[in-house]
Amino acid sequence: MENIHPIIRFEGIGKRFPGVQALRGVNLEIRRGTCHALIGENGAGKSTLGKILAGLYQPDEGRLILDGRAVGFRSPRDAFLAGIGIVHQELAFCENLSVAENLCLGSLPAKRGFICRRSMKAMAEQTLAVIDASLNVETVMAELSMGQQQLVQIAGALAGGARIIVFDEPTSSLSQVEARRLFKLVKSLPARGITSIYISHRLEEIFELCDNITVLRDGCVVATKQASAVSEKELAAMMIGRSLDAYYPRRTTGSGGKTELLRVKNLSSPGKFSSISFSVNAGEIVGLAGLVGSGRTEVALALFGLDQQASGDVLINADKTLITSPGEAMRHRIGLVPEDRKRCGLILSMNARENISLAILEKTATFGWVRRKKENELAQTYFDRLRVCAPHVNALAASLSGGNQQKLVVARWLAADCRLLIMDEPTRGVDVGAKAEIHGIIDHMARSESGILLISSELPEVINLSDRVLVMRNGRLAGELPRKQASQGAILKLMAGVAA
Amino acid sequence: MHTLNHLFRKLFNSQQSGLVIVILIIGVVLSFFAGFHVDHLTGQKINNFINAYTLMQTGTDASFFAIMAIGMTLVVISGGIDLSVGSIYALSGIAMAMFLRSAGALSPVATVTIGLSISLGVGLLCGLINGVMITGLKVHPFIITLGTMWVFRGIAFVASKAESILVPDALTSVAKADFLGLAIYPVPMLIMLAVTALGALYLAGTVMGRHIYAVGGNAEASRYAGLRVNRILVGVYVVSGLTAGIAAFVGSSYYGSASCADATGYELYVIAAAVVGGASLSGGRGSAPSAMLGAILIVLIRQSIRTLHLDQNYEWIIIGCAIIVAVVFDRLNARLTAKRLLTESARARSEEREA
Repeated sequence: MENIHPIIRFEGIGKRFPGVQALRGVNLEIRRGTCHALIGENGAGKSTLGKILAGLYQPDEGRLILDGRAVGFRSPRDAFLAGIGIVHQELAFCENLSVAENLCLGSLPAKRGFICRRSMKAMAEQTLAVIDASLNVETVMAELSMGQQQLVQIAGALAGGARIIVFDEPTSSLSQVEARRLFKLVKSLPARGITSIYISHRLEEIFELCDNITVLRDGCVVATKQASAVSEKELAAMMIGRSLDAYYPRRTTGSGGKTELLRVKNLSSPGKFSSISFSVNAGEIVGLAGLVGSGRTEVALALFGLDQQASGDVLINADKTLITSPGEAMRHRIGLVPEDRKRCGLILSMNARENISLAILEKTATFGWVRRKKENELAQTYFDRLRVCAPHVNALAASLSGGNQQKLVVARWLAADCRLLIMDEPTRGVDVGAKAEIHGIIDHMARSESGILLISSELPEVINLSDRVLVMRNGRLAGELPRKQASQGAILKLMAGVAA
Repeated sequence: MHTLNHLFRKLFNSQQSGLVIVILIIGVVLSFFAGFHVDHLTGQKINNFINAYTLMQTGTDASFFAIMAIGMTLVVISGGIDLSVGSIYALSGIAMAMFLRSAGALSPVATVTIGLSISLGVGLLCGLINGVMITGLKVHPFIITLGTMWVFRGIAFVASKAESILVPDALTSVAKADFLGLAIYPVPMLIMLAVTALGALYLAGTVMGRHIYAVGGNAEASRYAGLRVNRILVGVYVVSGLTAGIAAFVGSSYYGSASCADATGYELYVIAAAVVGGASLSGGRGSAPSAMLGAILIVLIRQSIRTLHLDQNYEWIIIGCAIIVAVVFDRLNARLTAKRLLTESARARSEEREA
């Protein structure tokens, strides 16, 4: 059998970045035609290893053996020619060009210097046919969803003769439907003789897709296991190097206060959502589940004054109010931790202190002058309380990891003394350790009588943290489940619109 | 020595001390190569660069750029650009001169008060027009201010019928006040220092200043943090127009006349000064003292061409190259700093993990 020899062998791979040893002495074999998972916390080195294989990084030491021969890739192109493709969400396309142009970019069919549109279109359609994807190849890339863009990437890799495909956190910005489609495709790859390397920190999907799992921690291989011979809990423990008491601890409390903080009646916004009614009490965590595109984020934006078309009644502490701007929302002590941290949450060019104090600066100032001492104290307090891991409070936000950046956004609203915090995907792209910490912060806020509206695509997160779960479907509230009935199955049924 | 070093550090950050050092080096080299001439009256040998007249001329030239560069820095930090400052200068100067001409004889105090309020008022109004159009019409500031650059100068041209208009002596005697009768006129430079100090305090010390950095760094995130982004943006264009008005008041008064052709092309020197001073055209970065130093550096380079009797026609080539070199060095420095910070925090992270 040809399966005896591994298709790839990493031998003593080491890689240094300024100030960190990203990988040290990594030995790993990947078997032909399997789906092999690389998992670990952020910074564990899993993406670095994938990028070395795809030629994006060059190792400082060690060898890469492909089909029994040592290879050295100096560029992604070298790797591509050797049959290795990568699906990476930041390795973007030319978003202003069409699908066809992107797929043919390396070798545009041309006659006397002019592009031959017809043969380009045919080439692109042929490429997409490889994975049975039906897309209009003349669509501009920017108009495609993240999932569709990934399909184009995969098709491009397969058409280029890839035998190995590296998936680097492929589902981190996909909707559930898109993720399902991706899974189907990944599962079909071994049958075509293609080896997949699947990098993720989402354990559920790894168990669904992968044959073998390698856990990395601090740049070293902790263990390689067969997926069938290991449990989710064991993997989580290996990833963080200590056993978690519980991976997703279910909150013990769950009564919630009786004081009503927020009541929403018939909130509607044309084309986005309609007739949304619910309430959030003090000390209560209300989960808001739903597929991407069901209107969850849009409701959050409307409550925070970022939707001018929204109509309906919003009652805060039983007072009817109209929130037309974030400033107004803040006056009612509402905060929003947005979904897209880099675009809407943080000012990356500013430091941690400035990011934490941003919303509160005006209130603490005297005659428009920043009170530096007060600002420092405030920022330091929440910097310490949320255990932001950075050299000091004046560290640039851009230099922090995803989890710590998210903590800054949360710290901003804690500093602003919010009573109602809307959190949209608070743990997206955050590693396991930081995730547990953020869950702890959410729990702590609820215990100190704040209300939380928690939007998340991760059902275990919603189920374990929420006192009640609201489910949205196609812009409407499909149902509300009390804590006891909020099981994964029940929520999924409401999300998908299947009669319970 | 130690305290001097400390004071220097307190006054200037590393990027600014870099600029100060470059300015000093150019000054020293220039005085060395400038040669001497003999004063007819006293018979003393005088350095062609290090003499009261040349230094003052250089400083005065720099003042007008620097005053406007402070306003421009605010605009650039917010992520915008203002091409209309030269035209605002001309329009403010013309408006002031025409009003004072038609008002006839006034007391010196009234002349200065009215002159100041008109030039500043016109500058402010022009800035307001820019700001409101940029935020209201949601058109890129480059386009709006390119348009108003021509419109404002056109208004100045039509109103003045392309004449040069004299301003009352009362203004000149203020702007060109003689220091101890030594034929040294320090007022423009003093105003430059005052505007720079105010700009520095505003940016570093006030909530508005901080908000400008935030909006320039990430306008969307600023909106999500409850900042009134449009109001902040209008504010920076108003300040930019205001500084052009101040420069027009000082300039027209100093030279004794205003013309619709005044300050033609100044906008590019002013933008260059802000950028040489480290302001990033993509927003979020910049400082007032650096912009002033940037203006001084550019004027000094221009002056050196004259002092060294190089062909005047090379002026633009040399200034152009100098700007590119300055900005490339600054970015290199910024990248190194960023790398160092990243390393630091990565180390902190791995220490945390080990702990």
